[in-house]
This record gives sequence, C-alpha cells and structure tokens, in this order.
Amino acid sequence: MTKPRKLAIAACAVLTGLTLAACASASGSGSSNTADVGPNSNVSFSAGVTGVVNPSSAQGGTLTFAENSTPDSFDPGNTYYSWVWDFSRLYATPLVTYKSCPGSCGLQLAPGIATGLGQVSDNGLVWTYHLKHGLKFEDGTPVSAEDVKYAVERTYDKSVLPNGPTYFQTLLADPSYPGPYQDRSKNLMGLTSVTTPDPYTVQFHLQQPFPDFNYVVALPQTAPVPPDRDTGANYQLHPISTGPYMFQSYQLNSQATLVRNPNWTPNEDPEAKQLASKVVIKLNVNADDIDNRLMAGDIDIDAGGTGVQAAAQAEILSNPSLMKYSDDALTGFLWFAYIDTKVAPLTNVACREAIEYAADKTDQQTAYGGPYAGGAIASTVLPPTIIGYQKTDPYDALTQPNGDLAAAKSELAACGQPNGFTVGLAYRSDRPREVQAAQSLQAALARVGIDVQLHGYPSGTYYTDFAGSPDYVHQHDLGIDMGGWGADWPDGYGFLDELTNGNTIAPSGNTNIEELNDPVVNRMFAKATNPALTEAQETAIWPQIDQQVMKDAVILPEVYGKSLLYRNPAVTNVYVQSYFGMYNYAVLGVSS
Amino acid sequence: MGSARPRRESERGRALPVHVMITFIVRRLTTTIFLLIVVSMITFAIFFLIPRLAGQNAYELAAQYVGRNPTRSAIVQMEVKLGLDKPLVVQYWQFLKGIVAGSHYNDGPSQTYCPPPCFGYSFRSQQPVWPQMVAALPVTVSLAIGAAVLWLTGGVAIGVLSALRRGSLFDRLSMGVALAGVSLPIFFTGLIALELFSYKWALFPNVQYVAVTQNPLLWARNLVLPWITLAFLYAALYARLTRAGMLETMGEDFIRTARAKGLPERTVVVRHALRATLTPILTIFGMDLGLLLGGAVLTETTFSLPGLGQFTILAIQNQDFPEIMGVVMLAAFFIVVANMLVDILYATVDPRVRVALWPCSRSATCACSSRPTMVWSRRWTVSHSTWNGAARSASSASPARARA
Repeated sequence: MTKPRKLAIAACAVLTGLTLAACASASGSGSSNTADVGPNSNVSFSAGVTGVVNPSSAQGGTLTFAENSTPDSFDPGNTYYSWVWDFSRLYATPLVTYKSCPGSCGLQLAPGIATGLGQVSDNGLVWTYHLKHGLKFEDGTPVSAEDVKYAVERTYDKSVLPNGPTYFQTLLADPSYPGPYQDRSKNLMGLTSVTTPDPYTVQFHLQQPFPDFNYVVALPQTAPVPPDRDTGANYQLHPISTGPYMFQSYQLNSQATLVRNPNWTPNEDPEAKQLASKVVIKLNVNADDIDNRLMAGDIDIDAGGTGVQAAAQAEILSNPSLMKYSDDALTGFLWFAYIDTKVAPLTNVACREAIEYAADKTDQQTAYGGPYAGGAIASTVLPPTIIGYQKTDPYDALTQPNGDLAAAKSELAACGQPNGFTVGLAYRSDRPREVQAAQSLQAALARVGIDVQLHGYPSGTYYTDFAGSPDYVHQHDLGIDMGGWGADWPDGYGFLDELTNGNTIAPSGNTNIEELNDPVVNRMFAKATNPALTEAQETAIWPQIDQQVMKDAVILPEVYGKSLLYRNPAVTNVYVQSYFGMYNYAVLGVSS
Repeated sequence: MGSARPRRESERGRALPVHVMITFIVRRLTTTIFLLIVVSMITFAIFFLIPRLAGQNAYELAAQYVGRNPTRSAIVQMEVKLGLDKPLVVQYWQFLKGIVAGSHYNDGPSQTYCPPPCFGYSFRSQQPVWPQMVAALPVTVSLAIGAAVLWLTGGVAIGVLSALRRGSLFDRLSMGVALAGVSLPIFFTGLIALELFSYKWALFPNVQYVAVTQNPLLWARNLVLPWITLAFLYAALYARLTRAGMLETMGEDFIRTARAKGLPERTVVVRHALRATLTPILTIFGMDLGLLLGGAVLTETTFSLPGLGQFTILAIQNQDFPEIMGVVMLAAFFIVVANMLVDILYATVDPRVRVALWPCSRSATCACSSRPTMVWSRRWTVSHSTWNGAARSASSASPARARA
C-alpha cells in the first residue's frame, strides 16, 4: 500500500469516527441531560395528553420558547397562526376563551374578559356580552366596551391588518364598513353592527342567526385595543396587554421578551396564570436546533407546537428517559382525500365506495409520518378533538387497515366498472408527505384495477387555481384530490361546514372540493342554525352529518394528525390543550 | 522596455500621490453607483417584471399578501397600498426615490416617514426594510469578520508551511484536512460542531447571538463555533491556494536572486515569496468577505443567528420583494466595496501595482500611450502567472461561497 493511500484511509477513518461519535452522542445525550429527579420521575409517555404534568404554583424563573419560523403577527387582530393564538393568551384576553384543562375539557368555552358566554336574542341576531368590572390595560387605564368594539373594527381594514380571520365581516350586519383607518374622523367607532350601550356591555348584530358566535368572539380579535394607543401595522411590536404578561421588547422576527403585567389580576382571566417572571420567545431558530436545545434544557417549549423533527423523533422514541418527557398529541387536523362527485365515474356512489374500501390506511399512515408524528388511522371526517365526534368505521378502516379488496371489487361491479377505471389525483408536489400519500393511494387502488394518474401542483395556488377550481378539476378529471383540514373552532360546524355544506361550493378557492350538495346534509346544517336548539341538540347533529358524508363516500379519511411534542422537564403545569393540539401556553411555569 | 526598469525601481516603495488615489476612489465609487443601479434594475425585473410577463397581474400579486379568504375589495385595497397598481416604471422610480429621498407609508392611523436610505416596506410585516437589515447587520459582520480573521491567518499559515515542507507528513495531512474542509458542507460541520461541543460536552452551551455591546465575552463565546465552522471551510480553500501560489512563486527567478543576494530564508519567504502570493489571495478574500457580509445563509441558519442570511431566507420564503431587493442591494454594495478596498490594498502589498498606479505620463509602463491615462488593471500590472492564480482561485472559490 502506498503512503498516500494509507494517509487517505487514515483520514477517512478519522472522519468516520467523528461522524459516529456525533451520532452516538446524539443517542446518548438525552440520558445525561435529563435526570430522573423531582416531580418528573413519575411521569410517563403522553402524560401531558390526559393530565397536568408537574403541577405547581411556584413563581419565578424565565420561560423560554423557541419557534422555527416567525409569527404572521403578534397583533391579536392580525394573526391566523394557531400557535400565535395560543401564545397571545399571555398578553391578550378576548371576550371568551377556552377552559384551561387537559383532555376534552379543553374544548369548552369559558369567559375571558366577559362575565360569561354571550346571551343571544330570541331571533338569534343579537349577541350580548358583559365585561368584568375593574379590567385594566398594562398601563393601568381601564378597559371599556368601546375598546372591544374598536378591536373588532380594526380587523375590517385588510390593507393594514391582512392576516386575521374574516368572520366578523361575514357575519355582522355591516359588511361594507371600511375599518377605522380610512377617514378616521368618520369611521372611528363607526361600525354600526357592534354597539356599546354602556361601558361594560358589547352587542353584536348579525345578518342571520349563527349559533357558534361564542366561538367567533373567542378568537384573539376581540381582545380590547385602546383606540388612542393603536399604531396600526406597528401594533404588533407592542400590543397593549390585557393578559398576565406584557411586551418588554420585541426585535422583529428575532426575539420578544415579555414581563409580568402589574395591572393584571387572575380575576381578569382565570384560565391564565402568571407564574414565570419573564417569558422569552426566540424566533427563526433552526428546527433541529430547537429539538436539541429542548433536550439539553436550554429552551422550555417549541412554540410552533408541530412536534419534533425526524431525527429527534427517532431519538426520543428509542430512549425511555426522553420518551417520558414527550406527548403524542392529536393536532385537530384530518388528512384525507376528496372524492369528487362530479367527475365520472365517481358520480356513482358505488365507485366512490370502492376507493374507500381499497385504500391501504397503514400505508397512508406511514406516508404521513407514522403513528406518532403522522397520525392515527382515521375512519370519520370529524377528528376526535372536535365536539360531536363519534367513533364509527363504515368502511372497516380500523378493522382492515390494509383495505378490504373483496368489498372494493364488489362495489366496482355495482358501479358498472368491474375491471376498474382511470382517474386523476391532485396533490401538492411541494409537500413530501402528501406526495408519498398520493403515491401510496395510487398503489393501493391499483390492486383493484383503479388506474390513478398523479398530478402535482404547487401548494400556494392549489386551492385557488387547481383542486379548488371546479372547472379545472372537471377539465382534468381530477376525481381524487388530496387535502388537509383543521377547524378554527372545535365543534362540528367549525369543521364540517366549509368542507361539506352545499352552499360553500365556489368557482375558485373552493373548499367543498368533492362538490357535495346532498340535501340531507344541507338540511342538517340549516337545522343546526336554529337559535332555539339547545347545545346538546346542536351537538347531536354533527355526528349525523359526519355519518351521512361518509355514506356519500365523498371524503376518504386517512389519518387524524398527530405530533410528537417534547417538554423540558423543568416546565410546570404542562399539558396539551385539545383545542390547540399543543401545550397550553397560558398556564406554564418553570421550576428553578 | 529596458528604460522602464530604473523608473520602476525608483518609484517602488514611494507612496502614491493623494490626487491619484482620490481620482481612483472617485472613479470606483461612480462605477459602484452605476453597478448598484444595474443590480437594482435586474433584481426589480426578476421579481416585478417577469411575473407580469408570465401572465400574473397586479391583482394576483397583491392577493398573496391579504391573508386567507380575502374579499375582492380587500385585495384591491392592498394592491393600491403596495403600489402594485402603478406602472412598473413608476414603481421602480418610487423604489429609487425612497433610497435617495425616503418615502411615506400608511401604517393605518397615520403616515410614517421612512428616512433615506428607505428600501421600502415589507409586504408581509409592513415594517420598513432598512432598520431590519441594520438590526441584522451586526450579527453578520460579527460572524464574517471573526471567521475571516481565522481563515485568513490559519489558511495562509498552513499553506505557507505546507509549501515549504512539500511532501512531508504535515503537508499531506494539512492538505487532506483542507480537502475535507472544502468538501464538507457547512450544515454538516456546523451540526457536528453543535452536537459535540454544545449539546454533548456543553463547552459552548446555548449558542445564540448576544450583542458585543451587551456582553463582549458572551458574544465571543457564542460565536466561537460559527467562526470555526465557517473558517474551516474557507481556511481549507485558502491553504490550498496559498500552497499552490507559494510553490509557484518559490520557483521564480526573483526568489533565486534574493537567495543569491544572501538574504535570510525568512526574508525570502515572507517579504518576497509570500508577498507575491498574497495578491491573488487578497482578490478572493475581498470577494468572499463581501459575499459573506451580504449574509452567510447556511451558517446563520445552522446556528440560528439572526443575521442578513436568515433575513434573506425569510424574505425569499415570504416572497417579500422589498426585503429581497434590499438585501440584494446591500450584498452587491458589500461586494463592490470590498473589491475596491482590495484594489487599494494591492498597492500596499505589491509594489508592481503601485508602479502601475502612477499616471502614464510619469510611468514607463504605458509609455506607448499618447495621452496620460490611469492604469489600474491587474492583468497588466500583476505577473501573468499570479493573475492565473487569481483566476483559478476565483473559480475554485465559488462552491465554497455558495455553501457558506
């Protein structure tokens, strides 16, 4: 062997050694950094899904969040990111909020700055909320009903606050109101559909009855904003706090520091706590770095709440001492495929049912990331974290997860296509998991002779120009379209309406991509808007719609989304809030 | 050319007249401004003109910035606010005007004035671009300067030693490591460094940027890993370049002459050979440093440093055109200025350049010219072999810069 060759081999050996050492350290780092001490010694895997881990009322310390990306905005009136909605409870309290508790309890509404949930008029058109007395902003000035009205007003100007939901513009009886910024002398407090009879009362006037209105005012958009302190697009840099913490500093897209709000009392929002002395959120942190720092104890919570990356996932699941600090949480999302009722031969329900039976759910689950970070096999449209969910399995997805090929062939024969048929499938080509799921579905359906032609599209225009455009879908025979769905609030209406109500079919940006216009489903939605219904009666409608939609075989449920969350052992009062599908940030503390 | 020799010898070592240097700098600055305008036009065309040519209209462009489920009037409102409804020429003029004279922006309740240089407002965050870049700049400068010191000293030293001990174990080992350094991407070496020295052994725990004004020790400690990681890539390259240059230079006649004159070997190596070798190294160094100051994308992403690199990535992810325009302009500025500084440094490092800087009327290098002109071309002032070295360096440096 020549000298240079020996040297080359030696260099390779050194490099390989370095790499192996790094890998070995990766698998062993957790055990050295997370000692089995203190109150955490008894916790188990996913303990935070069903109960409170590390309950404590100890105060002090710095609670450190890190986020892989940046917020759309910290302005409570200008955000549509679920993690920001969760995080905003630290500094912005809306009229109504969610109960702070694990499990299904966390889906229930609770008063925020209002004394109770809304009182609806007999005709269902006026919702009245009374504010608690003694509420103050961070600077000590009192909160009034007009501040709530103004908070709603400013969300109308989408040129200044473009990101938030548009439910108020859709539901309230003054849809053409331009917002308070244009012609301020005229439009400030000019929204006629929100009235303030006295400083402690806010009334919302709707165009038509909407039983879920309490959920709408539970959005961060109703957190009060003082008109004279509103800085419009710059309000995100320092929202005026009504929560337990207030902004001390914020370097845009880099880091924010929040300190205790001296003018906040637990009475203002019993669902939040003020335990840590300081809350720091670091933005734009490398995702793998977040995982490693979490396990090293340098940061406390991954603010994004979408779970650890693949490398950390493998490390956690193979190491019991790390696994016990992690939670496998349902995200509230459903990953599924639309089956279009207007694309032949899927116009025939039996052909659609053949797809339901032939799909291999286990493969789908693997494609979406496996049982922990991907999801649980789905058999209904409503995920388990939605009020009204009822476990059913009409196509044996749970009992025969690899597919029931005999039943599929039987359905194909019933629809006059015994040898199968050809159909197009649309998916988002820039989403690796969706690509895998599409390929998996293609392979599964091929087993019964259904020839699936894959068509990939960019996610940015997927709903506007391709899958969400019925004309395009018809022209390209896209009978199957991959999709994912999460609701803005956790009840059947919030989840099902946009997906399955016949009146939501639109020429562009269509969310009812299967083009379902089933009179039975439509009637049930209409029935649910009856203001005379009790909550229990309304809730009973959602599983009926779910079952009817499954009977129509227009949605192929694949997995209920899940994510593997990791919590620093030092964090107290930690649990998964079912509504957010991530930890409840409003109650966290940190032990010294 | 025989008469030129005494003239050159007499000018060697003399400082350049101030007016010569000022003329040179003014010319280069003029060129810089022209270059930046061209860069701005190209960037603007890429992000504003090409989408139009591809069939996207202003309404569709504006729709990207109005959140989910926007109404038609909301999109039109945004179109007007972002100025996308105006002709492209007007939009470009507004952009240039903002840099020179500042501009006003509607933040909702009031109009905000953005003083020059105003690179516009982010289409996403609606915040002025320039202060965001200024906030990110110290991070990138800290990273780039620190790493540059390491790689320049380390790379050149290793290269010189390797050349002097050609074929030795040190030479082979150092060149082997250099090859690894050039080959391994930052996101690999960076993650390995973090895994070993931050997470496992915690020598540099919780790496994050701390301003030097806030805590100089913590600033340095937290930047050690990024510096070393970045410098490893570049030092490897510089070591190989220096070694090649030194080997070539050591075989030149003037080195033999220096030795024949009885000069000590240290003087021969440092004052003669290294000096000649450094000229192309400086060229590449200027380019590299300029590029890095525009944002070390991979290093900043790997170590989560909130510098211009991260700013760039975020701007691209968000399709935030004003931010992209701003960072491209700033990066171009750094590259051009760094090159200008390198050219000035040439005169210090290489006497042949200094000779060539003299006006033609006084210098024999352009004696054939009928009118007094300034000569500032490395091709004519630097020896042919050295220039080739620089060209090689430039081509081999590109992958490294792309990976930074």
